[in-house]
Amino acid sequence: MTFVNWLKRNLVVIAGLLTLAYLLLPNIIVTVFSFNKPNGRFNYEWQRFSTDAWKDPCGVSGLCGSLSLSLQIAFWATLGATALGTAIAFALVRYRFRARGAINSLIFLPMAMPEVVMAASLLTLFLNMGAQLGFWTILIAHIMFCLSFVVTAVKARVMSMDPRLEQAAQDLYAGPFQTFVRVTLPIAAPGIAAGALLAFALSFDDFIITNFNAGSTVTFPMFVWGSAQRGTPVQINVIGTAMFVIAVLFVLASTVIGNRRNRRKA
Amino acid sequence: MATTKTQTDATEHSGDVRLSGISKTYGTFTAVHPLDLTVPQGSFFALLGASGCGKTTTLRMIAGLEEPSSGTVHLGDQDVTALPPYKRPVNTVFQSYALFPHLDIFENVAFGLRRRGIKSVKKQVGEMLDLVQLGEQARKKPHQLSGGQQQRVAVARALINHPKVLLLDEPLGALDLKLRRQMQLELKRIQTEVGITFVHVTHDQEEAMTMADQVAVMNGGRVEQLGAPADLYENPRTTFVANFLGTSNLIEAEVDTHGADEVVVKAAGDKLVLPVARCAAPARAGGKVLVGVRPEKISITHADEAGSIPEGRNRITGKISNTSFIGVSTQYMVDCAACPEFEVYAQNIDRDARLAPGADVVLHWNPAHTFGLDADQSLLAGTTGDAGVAEGETV
Amino acid sequence: MSTLTEAPPPLTPAAPEKKPPRTRGRWTPYWLLLPGILWLLVFFAAPMVYQASTSVQTGSLEEGYKVTWHFVTYWEAVSEYWPQFLRSVAYAASATVLCLLLGYPLAYLIAFRAGRWRNLIMTLVIAPFFTSFLIRTLAWKTILADGGPVVGVLNTLHVLDVTGWLGWTSGDRVLATPLAVVCGLTYNFLPFMILPLYTSLERIDGRLHEAAGDLYAKPSTVFRKVTFPLSMPGVVSGTLLTFIPATGDYVNASLLGSADTGMIGNVIQSQFLRVLDYPTAAALSFVLMAAILVMVTFYIRKSGTEDLV
Repeated sequence: MTFVNWLKRNLVVIAGLLTLAYLLLPNIIVTVFSFNKPNGRFNYEWQRFSTDAWKDPCGVSGLCGSLSLSLQIAFWATLGATALGTAIAFALVRYRFRARGAINSLIFLPMAMPEVVMAASLLTLFLNMGAQLGFWTILIAHIMFCLSFVVTAVKARVMSMDPRLEQAAQDLYAGPFQTFVRVTLPIAAPGIAAGALLAFALSFDDFIITNFNAGSTVTFPMFVWGSAQRGTPVQINVIGTAMFVIAVLFVLASTVIGNRRNRRKA
Repeated sequence: MATTKTQTDATEHSGDVRLSGISKTYGTFTAVHPLDLTVPQGSFFALLGASGCGKTTTLRMIAGLEEPSSGTVHLGDQDVTALPPYKRPVNTVFQSYALFPHLDIFENVAFGLRRRGIKSVKKQVGEMLDLVQLGEQARKKPHQLSGGQQQRVAVARALINHPKVLLLDEPLGALDLKLRRQMQLELKRIQTEVGITFVHVTHDQEEAMTMADQVAVMNGGRVEQLGAPADLYENPRTTFVANFLGTSNLIEAEVDTHGADEVVVKAAGDKLVLPVARCAAPARAGGKVLVGVRPEKISITHADEAGSIPEGRNRITGKISNTSFIGVSTQYMVDCAACPEFEVYAQNIDRDARLAPGADVVLHWNPAHTFGLDADQSLLAGTTGDAGVAEGETV
Repeated sequence: MSTLTEAPPPLTPAAPEKKPPRTRGRWTPYWLLLPGILWLLVFFAAPMVYQASTSVQTGSLEEGYKVTWHFVTYWEAVSEYWPQFLRSVAYAASATVLCLLLGYPLAYLIAFRAGRWRNLIMTLVIAPFFTSFLIRTLAWKTILADGGPVVGVLNTLHVLDVTGWLGWTSGDRVLATPLAVVCGLTYNFLPFMILPLYTSLERIDGRLHEAAGDLYAKPSTVFRKVTFPLSMPGVVSGTLLTFIPATGDYVNASLLGSADTGMIGNVIQSQFLRVLDYPTAAALSFVLMAAILVMVTFYIRKSGTEDLV
């Protein structure tokens, strides 16, 4: 009886943890198989333990080149989308102007559009313009679809900002530029950072839009896609595992630092 | 006027805040009707009114945070109407303080000094924090302080700039009652100490009366009446002021005779007398007038003792409908023919046990305490049910 | 950037139109909007128009294409590929429902029951994003491999018999069946369901649960009458964020499915990148877009939540 009660009370916890397990299972597989030494070209079946791939992560031709290209594109796309998106978010929250509704829809639509539609239509445009597909077309596409997400993230933050803070700064002899640099920007920073992080993740991991508009340029996701057809090197798992671990450590470290700072100040 | 300090005419004008014909409209809505107002230098001036009356908008026009639709703002001889807020020698204590959440207390207070290019701020900030008793908290962030402490930081942050005028926008609104009382005295002390002109916006009539030398009561974008607190309280000129500042019993009456010193009026059979000097309405015989008297000026006597009431007092008969015991006083609600909800506050010196609901009583008061108002206005203006505009509309 | 705050932000709620204090400030919003909006117009809106025009063109790669208002392309495309359309909607809808069923308990757990583990669980939900989703999808090939432990367990429990009878799997295989594709879609878009759900659950005041309990609601009633209705914004935006990309996805169908599980995304992709039949591909993509917009609009109207993002 008590066990049934316990089960009833913790049903949601058990279900939640099972979902979490479902979410993490592929990552566990990816990690385990980064120590595999497969027979043949595909790394789908466990053979025997080996650290070969970890010792030589760039051992497959084109892998590290595509990784560095993806990082570069993600960096510039983040920069571009964050700058453009932050400006739009400020304009939307802080000013009244014409065509507001139309602009809101224009920002919402890319998020409500299947990637394949955007990818195909953008390719049509590039083909019509006779543009050379490659780094620049990928970058243009990434800034385009990251933009809306940055606007949404920054907008939420700016909307929750008390307008009196900026008025207080003006009241205390800060001109428009000083007000922006000393008060607006620092307070909006978490929203901008969240938007930028999202843009980076979206850009780095994008496959569908990139696949359409890359021409013969190969980003990291495209490299993985290609190897899924030709043969998956273990090094892919090494990179995937490393990224996962770095992300978890990064978040945990920033949480710990944040907690410690709060404790010290309190 | 209450600001008859020992000042010569010359200095009195050099630092006055003068608003001339200043108004503010938003589309079709007029927040502030054209308004002339002079705040004498060194005074503690309160703008009092319900939310939406235009008091905050007026304050923000002085600060430069709101651009007037018409009129000018002068600080002393300088026309500052076109100056942006960061170029005006005026500082504001904002509603809910608007402390910068990303800066610590020290940097919050130092903000204005730094923006004006002052490099060594340590000594000044330290002194200012000591003045508001927050020296220990300098390195804390605003959210780590209590409401009262945040309020003092907001005052320190504004005062450190030695503004010509300090504007306070409902500065005590977020504090609980006890702390509010304490901060009222504290602010008054600081004002006396630094001698800076304070313009204080509030909806709390007690706060305005306790702190200010002069109060402007605002309603619907206009100043209803301007004067020293006691003057406003004793001689309200409109029903709004009579009801908004404290409580008034207002009786609709008809003018019977109009003498040189006294007006005699009739209200539901009772004859009442009021001094001509205290009648704000043009009283012609046969015309209507509103007669008012404050609840604490009235004595209440059981009907059996009516004979003991001295001659020459205004008197009204009625029946007690409700009593509430407050401690220092008892409040009676009396149903009279002239006024169904007549309020009386009686000091609890000797309590008469017969004064219970249902008892017949005689209410009487000195005719000199009676005031007269124009009958051509709402009896209920300024009572709590008549706030009109929703909260937060003038933020 | 100095133009950003040229005019002090005139945030007076009672002021719909505010006369700007300084004349330069009046144009500030337009300068702020210009680059980003231009970007979206040129690289998002204009391509849509180009695509619409491409869909009614005829011609060939060698001779070039001309607009001939050849609407027959639409008819041909839809009549040839309607199974893929239906499949896309069915797979995406199944994945969305599964995401909601799986994601809700986890979002609830993080919001109300996780305590000091909240940050860690949140990190674990987000962190897989940083391992490329293609790598993670490939891992499902290992998990669902023929003769692997998962298939073995499902076989022993006779689950595969049931799913086989329903047409979700075939024989002893899970891989290369609709079940595998839906499983991959569910997995890939689960975080997009959990995050909005968590955001709206987290905003719910815990005292509401106590108040409902105090007013004689048993836990299941508290959930039905208080928690779930209040989390509706999260449910709506979560389902949209899952359903829309899932409908257009072709990665899961390619990696985990077979020729029989092709979705509309696979068709568009191959028409565009392999067959090079641009009019047909454009028409398909246009139909997909229209279908999704119609479904989403209908859904938003139905659920009565206008503020999705």
